[in-house]
Formats: sequence, C-alpha cells, structure tokens
Amino acid sequence: MLACSFPALAGDCRTDKLAKAEALSAPPVALVYKIHPGPIRVGAPFAVEVVACIAPDGKAPRRIRVDARMPAHGHGMNYRPSERKIGPGHARYDGFVFHMPGRWALTFDVFTSAGRKRLTVNFDIKR
Amino acid sequence: MRLMPRLGAPVGAALVLAAGWSQAQSAVEFSATEKAAILLHGPWPVAMTPDPSNRVSGQSKAIAFGRALFSSRLLSADRKQSCASCHIANAGFSDGRPRSIGSARVDRNALALYNLRLNRWFGWAGQSDNLWAQSLRPILDTKELRATPQMIARRITGHPDFARRYLGLFGSRPATHPPETVLVNIAKALAAYQETIVSGPTPFDAFRDALARGDSAGIAAYPVPAKRGLKIFIGKGKCSICHFGPNFTNGEFHNIGVKHFVARSRVDKGRYGGIQQLRASRYNLLGPFNDDKTRSTAGFTKRVRLHPRNWGEFRVPSLRNLALTAPYMHDGSMASLSDVVRHYSELNEDRLHQDGERLLRALKLSKTESADLVVFLKTLSERR
Repeated sequence: MLACSFPALAGDCRTDKLAKAEALSAPPVALVYKIHPGPIRVGAPFAVEVVACIAPDGKAPRRIRVDARMPAHGHGMNYRPSERKIGPGHARYDGFVFHMPGRWALTFDVFTSAGRKRLTVNFDIKR
Repeated sequence: MRLMPRLGAPVGAALVLAAGWSQAQSAVEFSATEKAAILLHGPWPVAMTPDPSNRVSGQSKAIAFGRALFSSRLLSADRKQSCASCHIANAGFSDGRPRSIGSARVDRNALALYNLRLNRWFGWAGQSDNLWAQSLRPILDTKELRATPQMIARRITGHPDFARRYLGLFGSRPATHPPETVLVNIAKALAAYQETIVSGPTPFDAFRDALARGDSAGIAAYPVPAKRGLKIFIGKGKCSICHFGPNFTNGEFHNIGVKHFVARSRVDKGRYGGIQQLRASRYNLLGPFNDDKTRSTAGFTKRVRLHPRNWGEFRVPSLRNLALTAPYMHDGSMASLSDVVRHYSELNEDRLHQDGERLLRALKLSKTESADLVVFLKTLSERR
C-alpha cells in the first residue's frame, strides 16, 4: 500500500470533497483522510474524516471502519470512536485518543462487494 | 630526592588530568532526543481551568466551604471520620497505610490528592469521570464514611454555618433541596477545594527549566545520580511512556503485574470493574447532575471501551510528590521506592495478561542503576 495522490473519482463518491487531505491507495480502493485537529498529541482527542471510493467507477463502499493500534505494544485504543456519515463513502469518526507516545497504526477497513480491504498509515507520536 | 622536583610537575599534572578524566566519566550528558523527552515533563505547574461539570469549580466561597467539609466528621455515619482521616495533608494527602481503614478495611491504598484537577479519571480503577462524583463515593461507601444522602442533608441543614454557606453558594437552603441534590452539591464544594491541592516545584523542575533555558549552572546543580536515573527513566526503563508529560502520568490504566487478589477467593477487578461502575453511576458526566448541559467533557465516558485486558489494570499514578506518599501500588503492597524499582527490575512477566501490554519487560537493573532511579524519583517531590 502506498500513500499517494490521485485524481478525484467520478460518480457519487468523490475524493476531492476533502480539501488538504492525505491520500492512501490499495486498488480498487482510493481513500483520502484528514485529522481534526492536527497534529495528533498524546492523550488529546481527535477526529478522522475519510472519503473512500471504489475505482474505477467511483462507487461508495458498503462500509468503512476506522480504528487504531500500537503494534509494538499489542493493544489498541481505550476508546471507541463514534461514526457520523456525511455522504456516499464519506464519514467522520470522533473520539480517537492515542494515550501513549510511540508508533500508532491507523487502519481503514473498507468493505466492498469483493470483501474487506485494509489500508494502514503509521503515526509516530512523541508529544 | 633530587628526582622529585623534576618528577613533581609531570606527576602533579597527571593527577590533575586523572581527576579531570574521572569527572568527565561521571558527568552525564543528554542527547538532543533525550533533552526533548525531558522537556516534555514541564513546565510546572499546569494552568488551572475550571471544571465545566461543576458550577462552583474555581469559586473562592466553594473552595473555603469544601475545605471545611473536607475535615468535618459530620460526613461520616458515626461522626468519627472525615475525608482528612485518610487524606492527611502532612502525609502527602494519603494515610501511610497499605490499605486504608474507614468503617472497615478497604481494598485499596488511599491515593494522594495532588493535582487531581488534571485527571480524566478518578480512583485506582477510574470508576468516576469527575471529581465531585469521586468525592461523594467514599461518603456513601459502607466501608468508608457509610453515610446516606438523607443523613448528609439533615446534618448540613442542622449545622448553622454549613447551612449558611450552602445557601450562599447554591442559592437555596439545603432543607429545600432533595437529599441527593444536597449530597451532590456538597461533593461539588469538596471538589472545588481539592482542585486547589497542587504540588509545588521540585528539584527536577529546576533542572528541567535550566535545561530549557540553557543555564549550565542550573543544569550542574542537579545531582549526577539523579541525572543517571533520569536517563534510565526516559531510556531503557521506558517509564516515561506511561508516566508521561508534566504530571508524570498518561491518565490511563495498565497492568504491571501487581497481584490483584484482595483475599484468597476475591479479586479486585481493577479497571474492568471501574468501567462497569462508571457506566452504572447516576453521577457520571452523562447523568443528570452534570452542570454542563452541552456535555462537553463527557466524550471519554461515552466512548470508553470495556476490554478483557482491563482486568488487573490500575491507574498510572502521577509521580509528583511521590516520596511523600508511600506505600505504593493500588494495594499498598510496596513499602518503598526501592521496592517499586525492584518490581520493575525483576518483573514477573507471567503475571501480565497475554492480551495486555507487551511493553513491560524485566529491566534487570544493576544495583547502581536501581539506586540512581530511586534518587531521580525522589527529585520529583517538593523539598520540605
């Protein structure tokens, strides 16, 4: 999986809806996300807004699940973020808390008709 | 003898050099990464922000009323005990006992009350999400003050000074409020007082601030063993991962392999039980007594997860004023800081949950390293 930029997809699901977002891609899933407010700080709640679309026709996925783990420590978060759907393939998840410094893996599980596709991005949190 | 003058100078120079070399060996330098990690533990104190769930938070009348209530025996059923019985100001707002004794012996050590205003969760298991709820818990607990809302309302009403203060603060006579409301309001005044219990600056803070401003004399004044201990704390000990930030805690809960059997057939559920109690409580931030109708601070309560790994997890306590608050751990099972360091040095990894924290490993510290870590930990306390 690579972090990259890609053109907005056609159809209802449009990744250009999220300005100044980071991009991830794992074909056929194209995804952009944004952290509110950034940067992430230890113990401070934040939200993740995401738009995920299925290439090549820009269909919205059936479901997106966003979570986070500390792989080196073998645990996840102490809190379950709440989901708010904004539009096709577009949702915001409030209530993330990285309660320890170190490497956190933010995972996006995108459910398509072909199954689940996981996209991951790592954050090294120092403060 | 004739050789002495000739040898004198070089030998003297060699001695000076040797002394310099030895000093250089004992001097402790910090890398840029280590300096950044040290600076994260300050500045101290952290600015106070009133608690939006408590409408009297930060009010001077509430603080004074709360202080009076804190040492009042009217809050206990038998009128023999007060909050101050187990949270003694001269004992670091703890009581020096492994497990406190109210109307009966309780299961846990009395937590020190310093810097509570910075907490997200309260108590060893985080059973409360706000300080006023945590303050009324021991009043009602049958092993602690063993009172009832009716008893508290009656006694506050019948105490002219307390009734007058109550009226001045909450706008009505206690007799006109339901007993439960009186109890919650009393707890809010107690919380307002406890928010003012802030630990003072420590030798570590002086060192940290000297490091921040590049003050070499201030840096040099911090003892070398403390510097070595600090290096372990932020380095191989990985202590600062959980004992994070200016208050030396991440405010959460971890299983560090301390036994959680209270008796042979009884287990302290730790954070698992704490979350269950939190959710069941009428006094949590989602309940009717939160004065912040927007519930702006209730997000953690709404979203906290109950995991199997929460069994055996207990609060990561602040390390500020640590030297004043022995014994240590949720059950007071470690009498001294040396015992605590030995616990981490010789950690029994079999006691940790399989699905728990992989971070913890026996540190296997040498005697000198253990002693240095203790010296460092002692510099987190105020000079008295």
